Amino acid sequence: MSGSQTRSPDAELGLLDATMIGMGAMIGAGIFVLTGLAAEIAGPAAIVVFALNGVVTAFTGLSYAELAASIPKSGGGYAFVREIFDDLSSFIMGWMLWFAYMIAGALYALGFAPNFLELLHVYGLVPPPEQVGAIAVPVVDAAVPIAFLLAFVAVLGLVALNAVSTAASGSAETVFTVVKVCILVVFVGFGFASPMFSGAEFQPLFPDGNGAAAVLPAMGLTFIAFEGYDLITTVTEEVENPRENIPKAIFFSLAATVVVYLAVVTVAVGTLGAAGLADAGEAGIATAATSFMPTGLPIIQNGGALIVFGAVFSTLTALNAVVIASSRVAFSMGREGQLLPSFGQIHHRYGTPFVAILASAVVMLGSVALPTQSAGNMSSLFFLLSFIIVNIAVIRLRRERPNMNRPYTVPFYPAPPLIGIALNLILTAVLVEYLLRTDPLALGLSAGWIGLGGVAYVGLNRLRTPSTGDTAAVDTEEDTNDQ
Amino acid sequence: MTSNLDIIIAGGGRVGFQTAEILADRGHDVTIIERDERTVSDIADEWTATVIEGDATDPDIIEQAGIERADAIAALTGVSGLNLAVCLAAAELAPDIRTVARIDSAVGDAYTRFVDAVLYPERAGARLAANEILGSDVQTLADVTGTLDIMLVRVAEGAPAAGKQLTDVRFPAGTLIVSDDDGQRIARSDTTLSPGRRYVVAVEPDVAEEVMNLMRG
Repeated sequence: MSGSQTRSPDAELGLLDATMIGMGAMIGAGIFVLTGLAAEIAGPAAIVVFALNGVVTAFTGLSYAELAASIPKSGGGYAFVREIFDDLSSFIMGWMLWFAYMIAGALYALGFAPNFLELLHVYGLVPPPEQVGAIAVPVVDAAVPIAFLLAFVAVLGLVALNAVSTAASGSAETVFTVVKVCILVVFVGFGFASPMFSGAEFQPLFPDGNGAAAVLPAMGLTFIAFEGYDLITTVTEEVENPRENIPKAIFFSLAATVVVYLAVVTVAVGTLGAAGLADAGEAGIATAATSFMPTGLPIIQNGGALIVFGAVFSTLTALNAVVIASSRVAFSMGREGQLLPSFGQIHHRYGTPFVAILASAVVMLGSVALPTQSAGNMSSLFFLLSFIIVNIAVIRLRRERPNMNRPYTVPFYPAPPLIGIALNLILTAVLVEYLLRTDPLALGLSAGWIGLGGVAYVGLNRLRTPSTGDTAAVDTEEDTNDQ
Repeated sequence: MTSNLDIIIAGGGRVGFQTAEILADRGHDVTIIERDERTVSDIADEWTATVIEGDATDPDIIEQAGIERADAIAALTGVSGLNLAVCLAAAELAPDIRTVARIDSAVGDAYTRFVDAVLYPERAGARLAANEILGSDVQTLADVTGTLDIMLVRVAEGAPAAGKQLTDVRFPAGTLIVSDDDGQRIARSDTTLSPGRRYVVAVEPDVAEEVMNLMRG
């Protein structure tokens, strides 16, 4: 079947590129920002947290693979759900996924700020504390307004870039990801070789008091670190031979990510100890690195600076990726008539989904005021909910469209999507319960967003009812013209 | 409601698939119903449309293709009777849907009683062939618009506009030079009307003669 026409954006990404896009979204911001926070909740068991999250998310990954191989659309999770569900369900899915990405943007911006400050410390550009390992808390405390400002400026800058140009969304992603992975490999290599690395830090694996129960809320918080495969399926159109390469890219990126995460967390806990890691918070990995990397190197002086640079770089590229991803979700919703039509329009001069980007920017900029942990929790919560719907979509499509061509099918169906739903539900419940106890603000804001969605849905339907009549009239007019 | 339509195409052969490709390129959501397993697999490789494998006259298959949400269905298999049956079944299931049937012979005009539009790929192909054979310097491309003529015009040697840039030629109001360089690019103000080259031109009928004069001499 070699038609003279080709798919609109040329298929130019290979399996490697697609895998890298997924890994790029996962490896990076998540691991740099959330390791410290996970250690704070779960202690050395942070490693168990990341391993289990990899398992949980693999089930949803299977569902994504089946949907992406059989539905030729590049919209990610929202496009798949839109294919099979009625208006309300697909609206909810889009609304939640949009929010998940926007809050993820805030999270990455918040992770960027302390790491950037840390990078400045390493070179003594910011009032330097003597011991890098011990500084994080007092400095972040003193610099809260600066960190907030930095996060705000980072979002603003990337939004502006993406609003007026499509260049930032190109396929430089592969290079970025390779850089990030290399930096992490250096980190892991030096970490294992370092005299500071000690298996004793893992004893006891589960901290006193909380015990193994603390693993679940930490899983909820860090779940967002595995959301990258949704991003792979937003570029499917540009991938060669997608029905084979997309499922493979999903699995490869997930497997590679889990391996990298486990190695990095092992080194971070083994060198700095869970308590030190927890103290460093969003800059956990960077702090661990500066504690054991060799100093006195040419040019970069402190080897730790390389890792800190990696953290800054990762959070910025991840922020860029979610600015694009969130505006794409809003854009598709606008195209489908599920948000105001202006969301689905491309700006006549810049060629970008301008309104969708600006709307996403408003929420992101507002969310930068949140504590990092709240942002992580909310984003994870909404990804969990969205992924539940994606798993349901697989089951529903199998039932209602048994004859649909499925180049890739989930093995052992229906077990994987059902297990995926169950595990995601458990994590959601644990996360909600945890938020009830510790972070009512995040829970309130989440409920508020869903409430706002309800209002938007009803309002849009009101708005739409008269205009549906209009288009019907236009249709019949065209019909008569044709004959 | 939206600018993207949901379109079902019955028959994923040459005509059906290429139609799907064009529609998908324009951003519409296309679902193809195709019976032959190998064709299904070929279509899936091309990644243009969701594919339902099965017989397009089977109401269950039509429903799986999402008939209740579709804006239009085009039956484009090689069998006229089958195409008519598909359209009739679809109209029965979703009365508002626009139906298009591919018909083999001109007799099919009578079918417009049952479907919204009929098309004859053979006749369209024949018209193109005739154009090519005659190699005419002025070809009408399509009768898609109300009264506008969309034409392919070869600029004649020595014509008033030959060798001039578009900004220097004063075409009458109601004229649009669309293409440049034998259809490689869209015309710009610095486009030169080279003699011997062909340009796509849209004109209103009452200025067509004047435009011909400028371009053909």
